[in-house]
Amino acid sequence: MNLITVAMFAAILLVSLGITAWAARRTRTTVDFYAAGKGLTAAQNGFALAGDWCSAAAFLGFTGLTALYGMDGALYAVGPLVAFCTVLLLIAEPLRNTGTYTIGDVIMYRMRQPPALAAAIVGTIVINLAYLIPQMAGAGVLIKLLFGLRYDVSVILVGLGMIVYVAVGGMLATSWVQIVKAVLMLGAGAIILFLALAGVGFDPLVLFASAEAKAGPGFLLPGNLLKNPFDEVSLGLGYMLGLAGLPHVMTRFYTVPDATTARRSVIWVMFLAGAFFACTTIFGLAAVHYLGPQALRVGNPGGNLTLPLLAQYLGGGKDTVGGQLMLGFVSAVAVATILAVVAGLTLATSGAVANDLYVNLIKKGRVAEHQQVLVARITAVLVGIVATLLGILAEGVNVAVLVILAICIAASANFPVLVLSLFWRRFNTGGVVGGMALGLVSSVGLALVGPAYLGANAIWPLVNPTVVALPLGILGAVLGSLLTGRNHEHEKRFGEVTFRIQTGLRSDHP
Amino acid sequence: MADDAVKLSGADVAPDAWIEGVESAEFKTLIDAKQRSIVPMIVIYMTGYMGLSILAGFGRGLLGIKVLGAVNLGFVLIAGNYVMSWLLAIVYARISADRHDPLVKVVVEKARMSGSAR
Repeated sequence: MNLITVAMFAAILLVSLGITAWAARRTRTTVDFYAAGKGLTAAQNGFALAGDWCSAAAFLGFTGLTALYGMDGALYAVGPLVAFCTVLLLIAEPLRNTGTYTIGDVIMYRMRQPPALAAAIVGTIVINLAYLIPQMAGAGVLIKLLFGLRYDVSVILVGLGMIVYVAVGGMLATSWVQIVKAVLMLGAGAIILFLALAGVGFDPLVLFASAEAKAGPGFLLPGNLLKNPFDEVSLGLGYMLGLAGLPHVMTRFYTVPDATTARRSVIWVMFLAGAFFACTTIFGLAAVHYLGPQALRVGNPGGNLTLPLLAQYLGGGKDTVGGQLMLGFVSAVAVATILAVVAGLTLATSGAVANDLYVNLIKKGRVAEHQQVLVARITAVLVGIVATLLGILAEGVNVAVLVILAICIAASANFPVLVLSLFWRRFNTGGVVGGMALGLVSSVGLALVGPAYLGANAIWPLVNPTVVALPLGILGAVLGSLLTGRNHEHEKRFGEVTFRIQTGLRSDHP
Repeated sequence: MADDAVKLSGADVAPDAWIEGVESAEFKTLIDAKQRSIVPMIVIYMTGYMGLSILAGFGRGLLGIKVLGAVNLGFVLIAGNYVMSWLLAIVYARISADRHDPLVKVVVEKARMSGSAR
């Protein structure tokens, strides 16, 4: 165990708890709880988006994938940046203008029929749980490794942390925890980048040549990880459209005062997170150059320890103070990363359960303001407990696959429904239910019979089924709309929807 | 903050202000301006990124062609996707601030004038 790691982690934890106590005093209404009072600036929300979107899979995973599989790791890293082009051009501003706290708000505003809202709630909860469980399990493994605690104890500690942030401090605490984490992550990235490049005379080309020489001639080619060509296409499609369907990232756009600020916050995150993603490719190649491909495979099958090992080497090596300091820093940031992401996921899930399901669907909006906040806090605690239990059960499950599944469902079920709700006059409740059902069932079904779960006995060849599930989700949405007949009153109201998407003006009563 | 909380509890403009709004020449100009800039940008990034993803699956020999030292065409295209996304972000931010936002402002002011809900 590393004392420096413990000290740094304790410092991060103290700062986070301080933020939570500060935020708790400023969180009184539902707008405060779900949307941080809609008072974040573009830069603040940009950093928070970076903190929310860069999970441990990005912080540790991309570097490890590049170090083990060459170009496929770099392809994994660029997608999450391009994904924000979709968000910037199609989603961020319309979402800010039409919704209040959740994605379900947008669907309900457009459709005004309970089955549409119910479908949106199911989509949000399934995606969030599929995303949350691997984060919890990853945190368990990481803390077990860093502090020598038992797996289940580690998961419970993370669960406690996120429950406190969310239930006590709401969106304001969650946002600032994400901002702090993003600053730490970018700081760690900048230090590692400087040290990694300093060793090769600031010529990244040396890293490419050296990595290829050490890891073999096929290392810099695509296909080392994703053998099936269609899996590369699925990865691209899933990223490009899936981010826009991830509820925990999209709800961040409700924390700013208007659509213009929402747009500017996307520009921020594209430069902040994008620069970090680009660096992970350099880190992966640097790890091969400095440590050699053999050293990286020992005790590190998924590649998640590559970045801590590289940091330790660049700090001076295993037995030096510098090495221990760098290892401790990167490890502590990794835990902070996971905590920030699970807090965002817990909050978004609570929004779907408390705001969409309880207040809007069951109580038809007839719940007093102070009661709504109480319900939201209680829901956050319950969601946190469920996520912790599932995280404990997930020990040993191939969790990386669950993240892919979450993004696949987001792209195939949530994204078509969201985009068509915003932009297609003929879209209706039948379309919402059809798209959500077909997208969800085909994503989950194909993933379960694929190599991710059945290994060599797989009936279906692709790990990531987006390439088939997405067209099916769109088909379900279109057919569901066309087959359920026209409602001219509903279609006429689309003019009002369009007007609000563009201007943010509400012309009706909620 | 307080201002927004008020807005959330009710309407900003008269219940039928949108009918006049969507039919107005200003609104049509806004939609046209947005479509003219957004549609080509969507085509560009989707082609650029899906092109890379499809080549990563089906054009592995092509992406392996060496361009600069050990760096092959694949890594050049990956770098190109970073540059493409960042340029697109800057250009869109510029266009929407210079052209879209003033048009939105005109539409919003007109809608508020046409009938006040407050």
